[in-house]
Amino acid sequence: MIVTTAMNSDIQISGTQSTPTVRGDWGTGCLTMQGDSYPENAFELFDQIIRWIGVFLEQNRLPLRLELHLVYLNTSSVKAMMDIFDLLEGAHRQGRQVSVDWRYHAENERIAELAEEFREDCTFPFAIEPKQATS
Amino acid sequence: MDLLAMRESYQQQRVMLCFNGPISRSLIEEIGNALRNYLDSEQAALSSSMDVFAIYIEMTQNIRHYSRRRQYGERDATAIVAVGRDDAGRYTVSAGNLVEADDGRELAKMIEEIGELDKTELKQAYKRQLRQPRDTNSTRGAGLGLLDMARKSSLPLQARLQPLPNGQAFFSLTATV
Repeated sequence: MIVTTAMNSDIQISGTQSTPTVRGDWGTGCLTMQGDSYPENAFELFDQIIRWIGVFLEQNRLPLRLELHLVYLNTSSVKAMMDIFDLLEGAHRQGRQVSVDWRYHAENERIAELAEEFREDCTFPFAIEPKQATS
Repeated sequence: MDLLAMRESYQQQRVMLCFNGPISRSLIEEIGNALRNYLDSEQAALSSSMDVFAIYIEMTQNIRHYSRRRQYGERDATAIVAVGRDDAGRYTVSAGNLVEADDGRELAKMIEEIGELDKTELKQAYKRQLRQPRDTNSTRGAGLGLLDMARKSSLPLQARLQPLPNGQAFFSLTATV
């Protein structure tokens, strides 16, 4: 796993079979996550993403947008994602502009259902949109 | 070694894929891959194939977490995993491993309690468990995975605990998609 992260900078994590590709752009406020996520201990991966979001919300005034192309998450990853959405919810309640845009392949009902359950606990803009299958 | 007898037993029990031995992180991924390819080739509905894969991952990762927590060595940190079909043609995912007898009883009790919940109650219990603090040091840590499996199953999870002479027990769990 290749990770680069520092204060006030981008975050880049290359994906593996069981972990997503992650890219956080400090300059545009866009964080994308793409792929499957089922490591045994998701927090080994997610802690640094959670940290990056925390620093962004504290130091950057730009809106934060999460673009998610996640396909399958094990329960350990679901728990970690919930921490991320809680962080966003807290920021939103303090007046920060945050949003989630979850894109999924139209035939993958399971991930849409999961995204829907996450959305139930969020009051910030949270889009769940099917995309046309290409793979 | 009577491989033909093993093969016939698998066929009779409608096992498509089976592994027995020390189960590592990378092995879980590799078998998971094989499982996905197999389900693809069977042209299983995507939602069924996602459910089978998810249950397989939660079962095997629960076993790995447990073996680590109990600091089992190579001999005890093994598992048997089988994916097959039942008489009605539904996919089944089963896994078995050695446990301490008390842990086994606690697990079996949890599974029995989960079995009494309907869909709505399962969802509530799952969301409640998600909000529990991170805890890798208790059998309860297996709860989220078990609730997830139960939600993806069309029948209640079936657990079986078979005591062994040395005070341990063999715990087996089957989920039917």
